[in-house]
Amino acid sequence: MLKATSLITAAVLLSSCSSTVEQLYEKVAPRPSVVTDQENLAATQENVIAPDSSSFRPQEFAGSHSRSAVQNSAASMAVAQLKNSNTKFVLHFSYDGIEIDELATQEVIKHANFMRDNPTLNLRLEGHADERGTREYNLALGENRALAVKEILGLYDLSSRVQVISFGEEKPIAQLHDESAWQQNRRVEFIYQ
Amino acid sequence: MIKFLATFLTLYSAATFAILEVTVLKKAEDAFPIVISPFLVKGDAQQGESIAHIMRDNFNRSGEFSASSADYVVSSQVDFDKWQAKKVEAIVIGKLEQVSKKIFNVEIELLDVYSKKTLYAKKFAVHNSGIRRIAHYLSDQIYFALLGEKGSFDTRLAYVTVTNKAQGIREYRLEIADSDAQNPQTILRAANPILSPAWSPDQNKIAYVSFKNGRSEVFIQYPFMRRKTQKLPYFDGIASSPAWHPNGESIVLTLSRDGNKDIYSYHLKEKKLTQLTHDIGIDTEASYSADGERIVFTSNRSGQVQVYIKHLKTGKIKRATFDGSYNAKAVFSPDGKSLALVHRVDRDYRIALLDIATKDLLVMTQNKLDESPFFSPNGSMIIFATNKGDSGVLSVVSIMGHQTFELASKAGEVREPNWSHYSK
Repeated sequence: MLKATSLITAAVLLSSCSSTVEQLYEKVAPRPSVVTDQENLAATQENVIAPDSSSFRPQEFAGSHSRSAVQNSAASMAVAQLKNSNTKFVLHFSYDGIEIDELATQEVIKHANFMRDNPTLNLRLEGHADERGTREYNLALGENRALAVKEILGLYDLSSRVQVISFGEEKPIAQLHDESAWQQNRRVEFIYQ
Repeated sequence: MIKFLATFLTLYSAATFAILEVTVLKKAEDAFPIVISPFLVKGDAQQGESIAHIMRDNFNRSGEFSASSADYVVSSQVDFDKWQAKKVEAIVIGKLEQVSKKIFNVEIELLDVYSKKTLYAKKFAVHNSGIRRIAHYLSDQIYFALLGEKGSFDTRLAYVTVTNKAQGIREYRLEIADSDAQNPQTILRAANPILSPAWSPDQNKIAYVSFKNGRSEVFIQYPFMRRKTQKLPYFDGIASSPAWHPNGESIVLTLSRDGNKDIYSYHLKEKKLTQLTHDIGIDTEASYSADGERIVFTSNRSGQVQVYIKHLKTGKIKRATFDGSYNAKAVFSPDGKSLALVHRVDRDYRIALLDIATKDLLVMTQNKLDESPFFSPNGSMIIFATNKGDSGVLSVVSIMGHQTFELASKAGEVREPNWSHYSK
């Protein structure tokens, strides 16, 4: 069994939802085609990198530094839309597992960058479990899954902007009683607010 | 007695709600054959006719009796030879007489068909509204007279029902009912999940978990009083899995105040929180033994999900389950000698009975997703939630191993059963 499958998306409620972090960036914070350098930053009169910029941060996602004023206002509109869209990003887990593998960690880091680039956004992490096992244990397990994600975001000083809740097995996405349904239901949902 | 019942039942309003369907599944091979004759009724005592009926249903649901009626009202001239020939071992006869508008005299007698002796006899007055309750009370008396053990009839159930309203919209209800699933009452309706209802030892309160504020929190409801729902203080993180101390003064629950899920007890009057477990793993699903000296809980501290017992005096924690890779949600039997728990068998989750001293584990059920076991107050039965078809039902298994009855709702799913202590 896979430890944790990669971050996939659920296009919930709105059909026009962004489906990946990359697409979010396209909307919210157009990414520079070339890695930013000091000259570029100066030329666009943009604000500088956050002083506590972490070395974990992949350069290619340092979006906001190259935004123009027009792009910025478009970005803030897009952020406002995102807050209200109930767009969910979903990270899946193994049976009784809370481990986040390397690939999934990379995806979580992209969300960390996205949050740092958009400081008005907060994130709610909803932990869920499949129906197997007891309800109260699953409630605890769901919280541990969300906390595992929060732990990664905490490395980027985002803890104060991340709220963790657990629904255990109470809110399944898939209603069937088989492995494929269970796999879909073992998850953490990322909901921007 | 009359006064008490009258007060009690006035508070207990008579609105009608969806009654769970009761299906008696199987009786023991050697089920005790008993006849409960229709009562002789004098006066306007319509409800009185139901006494014998309620009692028969009670005995048949227990799995230990095969209760039938007689074709006629049996009175004091009992033809014992005839009943012997029919292989009946005991017979219950009774009389209900109206003495005033709402007061009735009840007389009952239990006769041993072979010794021809009276095993139990009683005569008393009852208020009209207390007839159902009296039928359960008498069932307990007769059960005791025949088996030397308490019955579990004059008790109540609590459970959660879930119905699908519009697409994606569910309604959760916290309900209570008599032990025979009759007289149901909805005490809470919610759009968000309700978990883990637990009757207080005095039967006046129910603790439960609600998500109404978007996260799991523990509340206390007073089903028979016009009192506000009580919310436990705000704890950061999860608050869940409440269970009462047998003295009714405190609740044991799971909190994840620092992200770490541990067991705490919360004293309701003193508003004092005491941490009972300290482990970096998940500790949850705690409940007390009847003497209050031990708690049993679920923990994944070993890397597997297993059941542990903490002796509160010594502070010592011992692992209780060693069979299988998943054992959870254990509850003590009333005598404190065994545990009912959820046990994983291959890919299925079943109810098992564990002898704490010998560590013998006996799997009691054969389904795929059994959960939430709870003992009847006399310890003779275990009620649990399971899936039948595509819906959740409650099922009851006797500790002798036979499945006795099932409770289902036409409207949707039933889950999270909890059985009250004896009525006072």
